[in-house]
Amino acid sequence: MHGEATRLPTAPKKRDKVSDPVLILDNVVVAFGALKAVKDISLTVKSGERRAIIGPNGAGKTTLFNAITGVHMPTSGRVTFNGVDVSRKSAHVRTRLGMSRTFQITNLFPTLTVSQNMQLALMGTSSRKFSLLGSAEPTDDDQERIDDALGLSKLRERAGAEVRDLSYGEQRQLEMAMALVSKPKLLLLDEPAAGLSPAERVIVTDIVQSLPRDLTVILIEHDMDLVLKLVDWVTCLNNGEFLAEGSPDSISKDQKVQDVYLGKARDHA
Amino acid sequence: MLVDSFAKNRPAIIAIAIVLLVFGIVPMFGSNYQISIATEILIFALLAMSIDVLAGFAGRTSLGHGAIFGASTYVVVYWTSVVGGSPIVAVALGILAATLVAAVFGMLASRVSGVYFLLLTLALGMIVWGVALRWTSVSGGENGLRGVGRPEWLNDPTVFFYICLGIVLTLSAVIWRLVQSPFGLTLRGIRDSESRMSSLGYGCATHMFIAFTTTGFFAGVAGALYALFNNFVSPSTVQLSQSVEGLLMAILGGIGTLFGAFIGAAAIILLENFVSQYTARWPMVLGFMFIATMIFAPEGVLGAIRRIFRVGKKS
Amino acid sequence: MQRRQFLKSTGAVLSASAFGTLATPAILRADNAPIRIGLMTPLSGVVAAGGREIAEGFNLFWEERGHEIAGRKVEIITEDDAGNPDTALQKARRLVEQEKVDFLFGNLLANTGLAVANYVKDNGTPYFIPVIAADDLTQRQRIRNVIRVAGYTASQMSRPLADWALKQGYKRVATIGQDYSFGHEQCAGFAQVFSEGGGEIVAQLWNPLNTADFSPYIGQLASMNLDAVFAMELGADATRFLKQYSDFGLKGNLPLLGAQNFTDQSVIRTMGDECEGVISSAHFAEGSENPETRKFVENYTKKFGKMPSLYGFSHYSGALWVGQVIESLNGDISDRDLFIDTVLASELPNSPLGRPVKFDDYGNPVYDIYIRKVVKNDEGKFWNVPIETYEQVSQFWTYDPEEYLKSPAFSRDYQGIKK
Repeated sequence: MHGEATRLPTAPKKRDKVSDPVLILDNVVVAFGALKAVKDISLTVKSGERRAIIGPNGAGKTTLFNAITGVHMPTSGRVTFNGVDVSRKSAHVRTRLGMSRTFQITNLFPTLTVSQNMQLALMGTSSRKFSLLGSAEPTDDDQERIDDALGLSKLRERAGAEVRDLSYGEQRQLEMAMALVSKPKLLLLDEPAAGLSPAERVIVTDIVQSLPRDLTVILIEHDMDLVLKLVDWVTCLNNGEFLAEGSPDSISKDQKVQDVYLGKARDHA
Repeated sequence: MLVDSFAKNRPAIIAIAIVLLVFGIVPMFGSNYQISIATEILIFALLAMSIDVLAGFAGRTSLGHGAIFGASTYVVVYWTSVVGGSPIVAVALGILAATLVAAVFGMLASRVSGVYFLLLTLALGMIVWGVALRWTSVSGGENGLRGVGRPEWLNDPTVFFYICLGIVLTLSAVIWRLVQSPFGLTLRGIRDSESRMSSLGYGCATHMFIAFTTTGFFAGVAGALYALFNNFVSPSTVQLSQSVEGLLMAILGGIGTLFGAFIGAAAIILLENFVSQYTARWPMVLGFMFIATMIFAPEGVLGAIRRIFRVGKKS
Repeated sequence: MQRRQFLKSTGAVLSASAFGTLATPAILRADNAPIRIGLMTPLSGVVAAGGREIAEGFNLFWEERGHEIAGRKVEIITEDDAGNPDTALQKARRLVEQEKVDFLFGNLLANTGLAVANYVKDNGTPYFIPVIAADDLTQRQRIRNVIRVAGYTASQMSRPLADWALKQGYKRVATIGQDYSFGHEQCAGFAQVFSEGGGEIVAQLWNPLNTADFSPYIGQLASMNLDAVFAMELGADATRFLKQYSDFGLKGNLPLLGAQNFTDQSVIRTMGDECEGVISSAHFAEGSENPETRKFVENYTKKFGKMPSLYGFSHYSGALWVGQVIESLNGDISDRDLFIDTVLASELPNSPLGRPVKFDDYGNPVYDIYIRKVVKNDEGKFWNVPIETYEQVSQFWTYDPEEYLKSPAFSRDYQGIKK
């Protein structure tokens, strides 16, 4: 891409081994005044891992996501991404370092086309965003990446449509496409299937499953069936605290988890 | 490739051709007075376009651009009359001053949006107005500064008109290019969702700062032309109503249409000059026209024309 | 008879031969086209009330003449300057370039007048300004074709009042004025003469235009141990000041002197006892016994249902003045230089003032100035009645004009006060 490496906080150049941790959280606390929304969370996510973060409503999942991506700075503790301490770095710096996320509540550019949304997603880490008089047409290279990401998200046919004309499911797909287009090292998906019809859920599941294996994915999800299909490892939070960690199977059998989460989820359902 | 870029820029090419045609023939049958009205419309269309870049593309309504425009006017008149300097240098200094004022405004206003942006730019504009009113030894207080007239080679109203036409059309092509550029796309992104933009890696404040300063440059060019046109400046040139008028022109023509500014400027200036001959209640007529626009064509005149065309195409 | 007198007085400029050669074509032309006059006045905006009185006074004269002068029809094209200099300029351009008027008249606010003056400087259109009082237009920045017919400079009128105040034995006076150049100049005229005569200007207060509450200012004035207060306010500010001055109990205890507009009919016609007894100075007093003034005030009152203000009076007189010059030129004003010279050399013998008025060498009229007192008339209305007259007061008071013009123009910072 266009010379962004020179302006970025330097990431270690050494080649990541598959087993190297991509993300390390050390005793992360996020407090809003007296309220601690996230309490002393530590976890390590390895490169290429698929991780789910589960927990009942108010468990602190989205707050933890925000602390990882820089929407909120952690009150204390450390966030290390690819060997760089990003605890005090703003969201867009972390994005440039290779983090990418979707939002639980759809947050797109409704009056722009799918293509333009993708371009904005792509230019965020490029110096082209400051081109005042250049052509807005993506470069061939960028166009290829946009096409690839739209292809992965099964949205290629809708490239010219305005986002406000898309169905909700398509908007969720676009969320994912935008998160993918910058070729992130770490993808965070905040309830990618929330509010979708069963048919749309299948599409989302397919998309996540077809993501390249060298991409690390962390997702928040309520739907245990989806979680079981998609991830290697599950972390469960409750009231902002660490509750349990393990393989999907072991977590779904864990008594503590069943008490606080699965039990409740069944009640809801 | 050429055909491709023609298709992309077709709205701009058509608009510029129409403006060139409509305005270009004014001196052929118009009196000097009508030429001066046409000149004024061009100057204010440029001001309205500079406001429209922020209002229509970045979703920020500025009430400070009248003051930026007027800052340039003050500097040009001051430089030519009080200092006795050359008009070319004066124009350069005027534009520079406006750009600097806009940079200061932009630094302060780039972090806020919505009604806070409106109020902050309003307050900043009031400061410029206050300085113009109080710094009597430099600004001439409420009596303002009287210019020395245009230089010989610019004095002919027709020559001056064509120069304004050339400058304004060139800059409107530049502004069109600006809003269609990658940077222009980021402004539209900020308009739609600032939070999403920052999560995508954009420093929104930096983009707004650049946008504000750049539009300040365009307003400054308009202000400098106005100094040469009006040959006089007083606090009324930097007062709030100047910003409001520029904004009304942009709204009337159609926010986000850019070239609607020509329609808005023409409508308001013609109304001020011709309706006032028949009734002292012309501000009321202006008010009614504005209300009617808001009700029947909230997207502005050019916006409405576009909509009708689009509906026609679909059916 | 009047006509002959007038011709005699202008004879200095118009040699008999020049007049003779011009007379014939003039009469021919006179039958052709009407004389077109552009009147600019604020009909919208904050000073619209005064602006309407300008139009009333101006039109009253032309109606009396049946819109005809020296055998030529007169067309008046009225434009609203909105009290805004940019608008005024725009309208002046329209009147001159589109309507092809023979000359311009009017405007109320100094900044509108200065903007138009700068415009006509380049194209030579005669421009008559009965109420644009900015000192420098007949002092340091004279423009030949900008003429103050029946007008005045701001500082001219307040000087005799300072002299009168000294004669009353006042030693300590404070001024309060609206914070803009018309206010600065009027206060300076007073302050300069008063301080040079041995009085002390204890303080000068400046209030912004449209001050809603004068209590902080009046409180200060009350505590200064003064002999009198000089107030320069006009419009709604004047009404509010007079009312609050009375509410604070200062009326009757601390003598109140005012600039000419302070007790103008435009202010006091809607007021009660608050305005009674205020002393001011001006060349016009609607309560004068002079038969010419009486007649004018009666006519005006009959027509408009109110007594004339300075705005209406000045524009009536201005129209009268220029009208007489047009008559003396047999209706031919096509030679602008001659027209302007004739106006400048002319005298107004029969104005509502009831005494002749002429220009000084700088194009500003020399007046007999009245010290006036606000009293109630037989009909229960308040008006200004002359109590003393200062004869032949020019804008330069008793100073030598050339010496005077070496001093800087008055401003908030320079008030000409002798230390």
